[in-house]
Amino acid sequence: MTGLLLGRARAQWQLLAVLVAIVSLGATLLGTCALLVTRTADRALEVAASRSTAEDAQVTAYNVTVLGADAAGVAADTRDLLTSSLAPFEVRTDGRASSVLRALSKDSAGYLSAVQDLPASAELATGRWPSAPGEGVVLETTARQLGVTTGSRVRLGPELSRDPAPALTVTIVGVVRPLVGTGWDRDPLAGAGFDPAYRDTSSLRDSRAYGPFLVGWDDLLATGSTLDRLEITAVPDLSAPRLADLDAVTANVRTADRRLARVLGERVRIERVASQLPSVLQSSRHQQQVTNAAVLAVAVLGAVLTATALSLAGRLTTDLRAAESALLSSFGAGRGQLAGVAAIEAAALALLATALAIPASSLLHTALTHLPPLGGAGLASAPTITAAQVLTIAAGAAALAVMLIVSGLRAAPATDERTRRDLLARSGADILLVALAAGGWWQLRAQPTGDAGGPDVVRVLAPALLLIAGAALALRLAPPALALADRLARRANSLPLPLAAFEAARRPQATAAGLLVTLACASATFGIALDATWERSQRDQAALAVGTDLTLALTQPPTAGQGAAVAAATGGTVSPAVDRGVAVGQWLGGAGAAPRLVAVDTDRAGALLRGRLDNGRTWAQVGAKLAAPAGAEGLPLTGTPTLTGTASSGAHLSVTPELLLEDATGLRTTCATAPVTLDARPHRLGACVPPSGVRVIAVAVPVTGDAISWDATATSDIVITLTIPGTTPASAKWTATSAAPSAEQLTDPAVTTGRSGLRMTGTVQLGGPPEAARTLVATAFEDPGPVPVAVSAGFAHDLGVRVGGRLDLTIGLTAVPITVADLVPAVPSAPGGAALLADLDTLSRALAVRGDLGSPVDAWWVGDPVHTELTGLHLGTAVTRAGETDRLTAGPVPAGLPAVLRLLVPAAALLLLAGVLLHVTCDLQARALEVARLRGLGMTRREIRSTLLGQHMVVLLPLWAAGAAVGALSTWIVAPLLVRSETGAAPVPDVVPMWPWPAQAGLLTALLAAALIAVTSVVLVQSRRADAAHLRVAS
Amino acid sequence: MTLLTVRKITRTFGEKETAVHALQDVSFDVEAGTMVALVGRSGSGKTTLLNVIGGLDRPDTGTVHVDGVEVTALDEDGLSLLRREKVSYVFQTFGLIPVLSAAENVGAPLRLARTPAAERERRVALLLDLVGLGDHAGQRPGELSGGQQQRVAIARALAASPRLLIADEPTGQLDADTGRSVMALLRGVVESEGVTALISTHDPIMMALADRVIRINDGRITE
Repeated sequence: MTGLLLGRARAQWQLLAVLVAIVSLGATLLGTCALLVTRTADRALEVAASRSTAEDAQVTAYNVTVLGADAAGVAADTRDLLTSSLAPFEVRTDGRASSVLRALSKDSAGYLSAVQDLPASAELATGRWPSAPGEGVVLETTARQLGVTTGSRVRLGPELSRDPAPALTVTIVGVVRPLVGTGWDRDPLAGAGFDPAYRDTSSLRDSRAYGPFLVGWDDLLATGSTLDRLEITAVPDLSAPRLADLDAVTANVRTADRRLARVLGERVRIERVASQLPSVLQSSRHQQQVTNAAVLAVAVLGAVLTATALSLAGRLTTDLRAAESALLSSFGAGRGQLAGVAAIEAAALALLATALAIPASSLLHTALTHLPPLGGAGLASAPTITAAQVLTIAAGAAALAVMLIVSGLRAAPATDERTRRDLLARSGADILLVALAAGGWWQLRAQPTGDAGGPDVVRVLAPALLLIAGAALALRLAPPALALADRLARRANSLPLPLAAFEAARRPQATAAGLLVTLACASATFGIALDATWERSQRDQAALAVGTDLTLALTQPPTAGQGAAVAAATGGTVSPAVDRGVAVGQWLGGAGAAPRLVAVDTDRAGALLRGRLDNGRTWAQVGAKLAAPAGAEGLPLTGTPTLTGTASSGAHLSVTPELLLEDATGLRTTCATAPVTLDARPHRLGACVPPSGVRVIAVAVPVTGDAISWDATATSDIVITLTIPGTTPASAKWTATSAAPSAEQLTDPAVTTGRSGLRMTGTVQLGGPPEAARTLVATAFEDPGPVPVAVSAGFAHDLGVRVGGRLDLTIGLTAVPITVADLVPAVPSAPGGAALLADLDTLSRALAVRGDLGSPVDAWWVGDPVHTELTGLHLGTAVTRAGETDRLTAGPVPAGLPAVLRLLVPAAALLLLAGVLLHVTCDLQARALEVARLRGLGMTRREIRSTLLGQHMVVLLPLWAAGAAVGALSTWIVAPLLVRSETGAAPVPDVVPMWPWPAQAGLLTALLAAALIAVTSVVLVQSRRADAAHLRVAS
Repeated sequence: MTLLTVRKITRTFGEKETAVHALQDVSFDVEAGTMVALVGRSGSGKTTLLNVIGGLDRPDTGTVHVDGVEVTALDEDGLSLLRREKVSYVFQTFGLIPVLSAAENVGAPLRLARTPAAERERRVALLLDLVGLGDHAGQRPGELSGGQQQRVAIARALAASPRLLIADEPTGQLDADTGRSVMALLRGVVESEGVTALISTHDPIMMALADRVIRINDGRITE
């Protein structure tokens, strides 16, 4: 047998080389996929972790109420626990602590704070940083409110708590400004430096609070002060992480909360460890599983294609060796012996293919990781061989070799006609395939949209099943089409082309060859289309998620004039924006997500808003339905305003005025001042030092005082004059209202404008509910009525509202009526959620007339920015649509998907060509005598070439077209179901199947041209060989 | 009238020590409308001689004229035209195209000659009736017996009304009875169609049916 095998190998080395090439190609594809889902996937997670922001990576321990005696120990123990939890990574720790309130005077209080690395959180306005015990610095606002300067000594009295620590004195050595985005939001007063009505955890009543008095970290821990809050933040250095370490850290962080409680025991009242790191890493894993599912799906497709090619090769090999097998059988060789020979040969093939595929897949994988998108994602790697790769290749090669044996052992049909059994078997297989494909499609459709599970069998197998079923069905259409060609050919007078049609229609075509051509063509086109569909979806998701081209989420309320700075820094269309949770009617949101309100300048919606709309609509069209009617004129503010007020009936009343200012960019900010007594004397509102170009567009004056009580029955007429430096336009029309709740407690609100400012009057009911607002509001505009909003379609469905419907929107504590002006698939920056889009100007007016002058603005949105680097502004976190798109399309975790899809296309093309070559060569070799007979009939070589080419093209062209059709149909049916968001959920907006015509046309043309060249080459050689020699031998 | 003239044909396969002299200085004439049997042992050169006459092989030396055309001087296209118009073959292995029906096989030479469909169908029916297979027109070669296939091959050979019909061992794969009926058919069509037939055979019956017998031995005519 060995001699037979060796002899046959020498004689048929070309055939064996083709078989080895096909098995090696399939095994290489499998090996490459194995490397992608193991090594590259792990590396992707590591790279993703290394690119995480400090906010994502940091772990923060919060301790509440720590007695002074325990402070140092608690801080040290907390720091140790965090550091050990993040081992083996290098860890940088920071601390921030604040004491409970201490008395400053009878009705005011202050508190101590310490921030490690204070210069990173604040900048010195005057003085120096504290360097000795008892030294401290204060914020500018605190210094201004308290009138302290460098060198002042401030006595902080005993703590306002049980077992108070004694008083102490702080020497002010500097005045500082807080830097935005450096954690001041976690300061008790959020870095404001002053709060007229603050209540901490240890106090039972509101007090006027000032602070922080920033002292040294060690100094604070040594003062014996009770710490109201102590937080330690640990930031691991993830610049070069190993996946195993990341997994260990994730597990440690998850249990850190429990361990911290054990370590600190009764020394703290509340302790908690918070970190986004586990969820960030888990999110990356989910996304990696989505990517892996796609890679595995491609591996399955590649394996199916290879198996089909091998099935064809096996059948052709059997045909070519039919005479040899018959001879061996006549010598007495049994079926088992023949199978044994085939098995030995297949094993040798598998071994050879494995030996070739291991280095080939390593090199291919390396090349792939050096090309975009993997290379751009930082996943370039050197050639490597892994156990998973070797096992996959060996198993794949063995399975393919077994397949070769099985297809080779199938008895060749005795005649050209198929047996009824064969036809029944094929019909059964087709029905089974279609049923499985339908089941897979249904399963994909039925998968919950929020599913974040790992790669499942359905997602991996569904594409291959659908493509195979489609190809099998397409093959079913071939015989009727060929029969039609046959009928047409019978009427013709010539021989070459009709004979081609007869040959194509009547010669039993190899199902495997047809399936291979159709499936390969379908797979390649599907691969390109899925790639385009996926990328388009990622771009759509990025656009909708960001909502505009650049968002700058503010960490502090905006300040007047900020818009000009943002505009100068970005060079685009700039709008202040609101993006926050709200309550709509009684609807507070579901699944932990409050309805989102997005408000921008909708006059410029076309330039600002991004995200795909339906029915060809544009955001400009939507914005036009929401935009405010006309701008508010207001009063220019060029200096510090003064307030003078009186109250009749001898009532002792005061007001705490708020001014709503609008700058040149449309940003509205609030200026809140200290309470002003209505004592007929002018009071400078010193807190309202305006930048240039600001106008006052609303004023709110809430009235308070000792004269107001539940039982009082009197009223008091108030007259308030707000003197505003600058000229007052004669055309300025102002409106006065009384704000809710209990608006009737301030009646007859009125406002007039004079040359020097505003004069506001009203009558205050001194009795009645104390929670009544008693706020006189004067605005430079009228009540806009219900605010028109565009509602996300899903939210509208949940609420049961249509266009024209009325609702109430609660922002903070203020309810605003809204009317549904339009329905949109999703609101920019709120994909898939319950959300509303409104015009910021209109919204701001609606809030203002209800006495809520607080600026709702929490972000800047920029359309078409020229520059996107905004860190120099120190305003907050900037996110760009381009960056988000890049993250979703070319980030380390998702990059494997487009890469493997781009691998599928050449693999399918190669297998298609190999199959075509193999089939045509074997077919023509088997028909050499027939071709010679045609010469004997008098056909010229040209006519024979026409016949042979025509015959193969008559078969190839419909299969090629059918493959493209199956690819297109599969794209339409299944691609939208295969594309998932990074969390594994269904993407928002919906996926639009893409069929990139130029790329597809190029691919199909290339495939057809390559197949044509291959067929033509073989036909040319064959027709040249078709001479009398064959006839002489045969005869 | 002489239809076929063969002069001093020599054909050698191989070189030097391995050279095989298949034909040596072969010359003869065949009159039109006769049936000539070419007789000789296996390896005597019968098939080589027929191939040279039909233009399927080229002699080393010598000339062949068929109906006034010098076959040995024709190029590839000329030979194709010769086989299409003047010479047709009947092979031992029948040489039918498997995917075509009996009628289509017979009609193939007519298609090559671009005969109009109606005339082609009439001629095919006539020929199939002539060979006794009028009822088997739609059957493919695989559905016919060996004798029936050879009858179809003869009908096809006659389809284009050739001047010379070359048959190389036409009964070689048939049993004796079938072979006899095929020989009788050939004799009949030679007479009815007025065609000249050159048939290689071992069959004594065939020799008896022939107008003339040419014997060949070791590549030489021994008639």
